[in-house]
Formats: sequence, C-alpha cells, structure tokens
Amino acid sequence: MAAALGTDFIGRKGALFGLALRLSILTVVTLGFYRFWMKTRLRRWYWSAIRPGGHPLEYTGDPLEKLLGFLIAVVFLSFYIGVFNLILMFFSFSYLGDNFVAYAASFVIVIPFIFFAQYRARRYMLARTRWRGIRFGLEPGAWGYAWRAMVYWALTIVTLGALWPLMTFRLEKFRTDRTWFGSARLHQGGRWTALILPALPALLCLWGTLGLGLVAAVTEDPTPVLGLVLTLPLLGIAWVHYRLRALRYLTETKRLGEDVGLTLHPRLGRVLAITVFGHLLVGLFLGLLLGGVGIAVGILLGIGAAGGVDFEALPPWVFVVAGMVAYFGGFILWDVLRQVFVRMPLLAHYVATLEIDNAHALAPLAQRERDDFADAGGFAEALDVGAAL
Amino acid sequence: MIGPDAPVFVDYFDGRSAVPRRMELTIDGTRLLLIPAEGSTIVWPLDRMRRLPDQAGSDGLTLAPADGGPARLYIPDGAADLADALRAAIPARAAPPPIPNFRARLVGLSAAALTSVALILFVLVPLMADQLATLLPPEGEAALGDATLEQIRSALDESGRDGLDFCTAAPGRAALGRMTDRLAKHTEFPFPLKVHVLDHEMVNAFALPGGHVVLFRGLIDAANDPDEVAAVLAHEMGHVAGRDATRGALRSAGSIGILGLIFGDFAGGTVALFLANQLIEAQYSQATEERADAYGIALMQKAGLPPEALGRFFETLRQQEGARDERSLLDHLSSHPALLDRIEAAGRAARPAQVSPVLNSSDWQALRAICR
Ligand SMILES: [Zn+2]
Repeated sequence: MAAALGTDFIGRKGALFGLALRLSILTVVTLGFYRFWMKTRLRRWYWSAIRPGGHPLEYTGDPLEKLLGFLIAVVFLSFYIGVFNLILMFFSFSYLGDNFVAYAASFVIVIPFIFFAQYRARRYMLARTRWRGIRFGLEPGAWGYAWRAMVYWALTIVTLGALWPLMTFRLEKFRTDRTWFGSARLHQGGRWTALILPALPALLCLWGTLGLGLVAAVTEDPTPVLGLVLTLPLLGIAWVHYRLRALRYLTETKRLGEDVGLTLHPRLGRVLAITVFGHLLVGLFLGLLLGGVGIAVGILLGIGAAGGVDFEALPPWVFVVAGMVAYFGGFILWDVLRQVFVRMPLLAHYVATLEIDNAHALAPLAQRERDDFADAGGFAEALDVGAAL
Repeated sequence: MIGPDAPVFVDYFDGRSAVPRRMELTIDGTRLLLIPAEGSTIVWPLDRMRRLPDQAGSDGLTLAPADGGPARLYIPDGAADLADALRAAIPARAAPPPIPNFRARLVGLSAAALTSVALILFVLVPLMADQLATLLPPEGEAALGDATLEQIRSALDESGRDGLDFCTAAPGRAALGRMTDRLAKHTEFPFPLKVHVLDHEMVNAFALPGGHVVLFRGLIDAANDPDEVAAVLAHEMGHVAGRDATRGALRSAGSIGILGLIFGDFAGGTVALFLANQLIEAQYSQATEERADAYGIALMQKAGLPPEALGRFFETLRQQEGARDERSLLDHLSSHPALLDRIEAAGRAARPAQVSPVLNSSDWQALRAICR
C-alpha cells in the first residue's frame, strides 16, 4: 500500500496581509460593492495555499456569479423581509403594544433561510473547488437540509444541549453523503453516540452555567453569578475541545469512493494558543498602528496650530471625513489583522494535520460535469452567513 | 530561458483523471512542450494559456488553458528561472465564463433585480405602510409613539444617561398648555395630544405616532415670538392629523431590513444603513410637508392666529442656515429645497378677521424658561 498523502499549507502572513488590506480598502471605497471580488480573490489565495499531496486546491468561483446570485437573493428576500417586517410591526403594535415580539419574530422568520443559505453556499463553494483538475460537487438539497437543521436545533434546545451530538452527526452526514469528488461519492460512516463522550465536558459546563443563573434568579441573590467567571472560560475551552474531537471523528469515519480515507488531528492546545495569542497580537498591532497614527495627527495639528491654522474655521465635512476614515480604517485593520494572526494560522494548523490514506485508489476516478446553478451562494451573501473563509 | 541541460519535471493533470503525470517541460519558442516518459508529447502554445491569479506560492505556479479547459500544469517550487519566464509570457487571469453572453445577461438581470428592489422599497412598502397606518388601532399607535419617543430620547442623549431630559418647569408647561389648547380646540384626534419639550439645542420639532409632538429647546430659543412657536406646533399637528409619523415608522420597519440586505455588513454597515434610511425618510416627508403646512395654516386661521408666523419662522431659519451644522440633515423643518415656496405660501395665507396674541408676554417668558 502506498503511504498516506500529507498536506502542506504554504501561505505566508506578509502576502496575505498585503492582499487582504488592498481588497478591504477597495471594498470600503466602493461602498461594499467590491466584496464579491474580495471574497473570491481571498478564497483563491487560501485555496492555492492548501496542498494535499503537494498539489494546490483551486477555487474557480466567479465574482460576477456571486454578484448575480446576490441580486437574485436580494429581490426575493427584499420582498419577504420588507413585507413581513411591516406586517409583523403592525400586528405587534396593534395587539401587543410593543415591538419586542416583532423583532423576535422577524429574526425567527429568517432562520430557515439561514440554513438554506448555508447549504447553498457550501454547494457553490464545492462546485467551484478543484484538486488535481477534478471538480468537487454537492448534490441539491438545501430545503431538506434547512428543515432537518430546524428539527435538530429544536431537539437540542429542548434537551438543553443533550442531543447536540445527534445534531452534529446527522447534519454532517446529510452534507457528506451528498458530496462528490469527481465521480467518487463521499460517505459518512460512524455513529452519533461516539460524539457523546467528547461533548460531555462542554455539556457539564453549560449546565453548570445555566444552574448558576437559575439559582441566582430563584434566590434573588447575585453571588452565584460570580461562578460564571470560572464556568464561562471552561465552557469556551470545552466547546473547542468538542468541535475538534467531533471534526476528527467525523473525518476519520468518512470514505471517498471505495476505500480512500481521511484523517485530521488538530490539537486543542495549539488551537487555543493560536486563538488567544493571535488576538493578543491583533490588539498589539492595532494599538501600535492606531497609536502611531494618533501621535502623527497630534503632531500635525500642533504644527498647524503653531503655524496659525484655525481649526475652528474648517468646514464640518473635514471632521466628518476624518472621522469616517478613522472608523473604517480601524475596522479594516482589525479584520485584516485577524485574518493574518488568527484565521490563517488556524487554517494552516488544521490543514497541516490532514492526511489522505490509500490515495492510489483515486486512480479510477473521473471528472464530473460543471454545476451551473443559478444563485452562486447569493443567499448566504445576502444573509451574511457565508462559510468562514 | 531554460537551457537543454536544465530539465524541469512538472505534474500534469489532463482534467479527466486525478492521477498526476510526470512530464519533462521545455520551452520551444512560443510553445511549451510536455514530454512524458512514454507516449506522445503534448504541445501548449504560450498564447493560449493562462496563469491562475491570486496564488499563495511565491515561486511555483499553476498553468491552465486560456479557454477555461480543465487541464492543469503545476510548476513546482524551486524552478525559479522557468517560473519567472512563464510569468512574463503568460497573463494571470480567471477562466472565461462558460455561459455565452454571460456579461450581457448579467447586466440585464442586474437591472431587472435593481428595478424590483426599488419597486419594493419605494412603491410596495410605502403603499402597504399607508394602508396599515389607517388600520392601526389608536392604542397600537400610542404604543408605537411611546416606543419611538424613548428611542429618540436615548439616541440624542450624548451623555449616555437614561435619555434626553424633558423640560418641565411648571410656569412654562402651563404656558405651553395654553398654546396647545388654543390650537387643539379646532382639531379632532382619536387620542389626546401630548406636547413635549426636550432639552437640546437643535432647532427642530417633530410629530411622533399616537399624538406626541416634540419641540426642542433650540426651536423655542430661535423663535422671535410665541406665534412662531404656535405656527410650528400647528404644522406638527398637521403631521399628527395625517398620521405621517405612523406611516414613516411602518415604512422604516419594512425598509431598514431591505437596506441591511443590500449594503451587507461591510465595515460595520450600520453607518451606511443609518444614513441611507435617513435619506429615504427625508424623501417620505417631502411630499407630506406641504400638506402639513396647509393644515397648520388653516389651523392658525381658525384659532385666530397670524398664519404668516410660519413663514417668518422659516425665514429666520433660512438666514441661520449657513451658520448651522450638519444636523440640518436630520432637520425636516429646514432641509427642503422648496423652503422659499413654503415661506411664500404662508405669507399669502389670509389673516383671520380677529387676531389675538397666543401668549401674553409673561407666559412667553415662562415658555422660554421651560428648560431651566
Ligand atoms: Zn413637517
């Protein structure tokens, strides 16, 4: 048997920083219009950095397809959201005298679309991803996914999270069993019960947190809330632990075609370290950059004042523009730095632990047809629930 | 270029199978020659190839047919000279769209989509809001007004406390009550009129759903006499009678979600969202302002007050306009290009036979001191 194929991640922080910064500025300058190009180009870059067996992935998504899909989704959702919100507001005030219910209901009516959009976005993403020149694909099934997701979420909420592993497994199986690489279908094996043990720490932390809140509410004594200082960070860590263990299990139990297997073994310590130190670095760089700009502006103002410039006499739009530049500049930098110091290192870690077993069994596999579907993940774009990258 | 003594081996994928084929690559003039260990040589003309754009690797590169075909050629890292030569000869670009006339169709579909959204935003939602506003029961409208008043108080409060203060000095309230009664006698609203003064220097006033009218301290300070304040109050009562604020609130409930969709979440989005909604709001109110003016003028006439006071007040505003700050964007009393027409219309209105002052001078002083 051939040895397993490892995966390299060859992206560098400096290159990503330059690309992401340029694209973000263009996006803001064009009032968000460029974001379809930004997302496409960033994904091309990320995909090309991921190299299973030394051959890069390729993203062939088209920004114009994305724009078109977005427009189609906006027409549909404009009608739905505009008309629905109006009617909700009307009934909420007519019969309840408040708008809280309207806000809650207007969120609830969007939920099925969020799941629908997530599935469509995944379908577009896979249909526009290639490795070794061969296309991936996801069969249609967004509405089937949306109602299943709603049912499993309801079960999870009703059981206070106890059925979370069931939801994780079933939804992943739904997606995986419809995923193709070329002519080979992916299959999700394993059982959902295998995820119960990995979920236990997170569930205990969740129940502990809820219990503390309940005790505080019943006794009207806020002291138990202090316990949250302990349970909330633990819940965060236990949650990441569950996500990683579930990912690992669900990857190991996947099969491509007859007998190509996958393994992924991201480490909890590494993921936590990247998340924590990455955000610290983001804060540090942002502080240094903004502090530097602030000092420079201060010096310029000082020079101007010494030179007799009367800042009071400047038209107000100067301050409005300066404020906008500072606001968007800070926001862009935050997002770009987070890509560089958190998202990319996390992705690099995950990717570096991916192996393809029995890769020689890929040999009989053939190309699949191009999936020309209409909305190009536009619903995800409109509802802003696109995949993480 | 690469000499014969420096063979480079590349991985070639034919786009039909996932099995890599090792090829020896040489450049022959304007063609790439791919020579397999066995089998026939593949020839790729350089001018019919493209490089994949936005690639993460610094020296390796991926080549593909320019026509969008699925074959791929991976030039490995380490063959820097060859990669540089290919970079110079072959442009980086995405595959052409596989659908014929894709861009023309895109333009057509985009225009259709934008028209539909505009129709929803500017026709359907306002139409529905107008209809629903007439169906809203008075209690519902009062609740909507209470909620909006609280939102406005906290939005304008710059100190971050529990909202802008109401001005409640007793003599001032009594004077304001007399002014309100004089006008309200001639109206029939389904709910009691509630006139508030908010402690803010903005020269503005507005009506909210459910019979709330808000005057800002800045407006009372800017007025030259009580008749001008009464004229503004009468104008706002015109908005109350027309249920303009209710329609506006329902419209923005429908339109704010749509605008959120269009602008997405680029850089926090909320600022653009807010400004865009303000623009739409301003457009909503333009058509209704003249109706409110007419109502206010008629009301002044019925109450035995000089209707041209509204015109006088607008004139004062117009003279101050240059000195005022960007807040006028939010200021529906002064932001309309048709202000001169409105001044003129108020000036043309007939004075009633008997005019008596709306407040005596001590009441006027009390009203000016209502925030102290
Ligand atoms: Zn008005």
